[in-house]
Amino acid sequence: MTLQVVNNATCTFCGCVCDDIQLHHDEIRIHEAKKACVLGTAWFLNHTAEKKYPDAIIDGREASLDEAIEMAATLLHEADMPLVYGMSNTTCEAQKECAALADQLGGLLDSHTSL
Amino acid sequence: MGGKVTCTLGEVKQRADFIVYWGGNPAECHPRHFTKYTIMQKSKFLPRGRKDRTMVLVDIRETKSAKAADIFLQVRPGKDFELITILRALVKGQHVGDAQIAETGLTREVLDDLVQRMKTCKFGCMFFGMGLSMTRGKHMNSAALLTLAAELNAFTKFVAMPMRGHGNVTGADVIMRWQTGYPFGISFNRGYPRYNPGEFSTVDVLVRGDCDAAFIIGADPGATMPQPAIDHLKRIPTIVLDPHVTHTSRLARIHITTAPQGIAAPGTAYRMDEIPLPLKPALKSPYPTDEEVVRRINQAIAQKPFWLPEGSQPQMLNAQV
Repeated sequence: MTLQVVNNATCTFCGCVCDDIQLHHDEIRIHEAKKACVLGTAWFLNHTAEKKYPDAIIDGREASLDEAIEMAATLLHEADMPLVYGMSNTTCEAQKECAALADQLGGLLDSHTSL
Repeated sequence: MGGKVTCTLGEVKQRADFIVYWGGNPAECHPRHFTKYTIMQKSKFLPRGRKDRTMVLVDIRETKSAKAADIFLQVRPGKDFELITILRALVKGQHVGDAQIAETGLTREVLDDLVQRMKTCKFGCMFFGMGLSMTRGKHMNSAALLTLAAELNAFTKFVAMPMRGHGNVTGADVIMRWQTGYPFGISFNRGYPRYNPGEFSTVDVLVRGDCDAAFIIGADPGATMPQPAIDHLKRIPTIVLDPHVTHTSRLARIHITTAPQGIAAPGTAYRMDEIPLPLKPALKSPYPTDEEVVRRINQAIAQKPFWLPEGSQPQMLNAQV
């Protein structure tokens, strides 16, 4: 079976953000990450497009995405001092939404940098 | 750039003939840093590549990166700030006592040689890692090193750059600076952003038990934070967005699976020198992206009354004395 190739893909494992990786994939998983280092190769090969986990988990039981979003909104809205934390392994677009979330909630906003 | 004396990795690759790694282990943590940007590359200004460049490693132990270094300085643990301060004095030609130098675990000859090399290079660059910024002195160490880089500009071109770890953590700083004016440790509880690490930084907030809900995205504090912080995450409603079910997901009330960035989710990520790069996802995930989920949560919250009493808006300046 021939694999599809993505040239100049970007690796986001470490702060180097190498943007010259060649990925060979079959739409389910990445089989080869050329030019990537050991850490980058592990990062690309360990993520697949398979459905390994439920869409959402609420209190230990499987739930739908809509249900989880509604409950997350309720819990965050009820809180007096919610904390929005992390934002390392995500895109800038999502980070901007997180800043809006903390602003809207009147909460705390923090990243890995403060550790 | 937040006031840093810095440059891009492209400039380092083309011009830097003197490279210092301080408190970092690029050989194991950023494996392509040497070959792509720093010591191995040949350029118009450094045609002989490795032979035209000098690399110094400062660390508390001899890591794998020491093999690549021309000079290895083993500083006594917790004495980085003292060493940087001594270097700043030596650079300015001020007197430094033998006892002060002995305290850092290094000798005067070694430091005089280092200062001489720093002053006479054409383009110097210091990369500092968690070994500097996460040990005794913390951000004061980083500030001292950035000041040293700034002061060396009286003699030659010198810059400093943090070696950032996980993926897009640089992007988080940039986005928060853009949106709020501050890089991390922000509180919106007066309706406008305030910055105070130590008060609003996550570990402190969790250990004191100040927050009553947590929204965790692209991080796994359940595996990395001190136990009292994890205990507090268990006590309060915690919401986790992650491509995998993590340690934090297991103690959270809600886990939402999202597409991994750069592999199945498109977007932008920042390199450690604050260069934004587009992501090229190869796969199509059955899960939504982080961006989509957070936007939908934002929309759901916007339907509810604003958090101030009777949905009133923040008073901003009027509320301040």
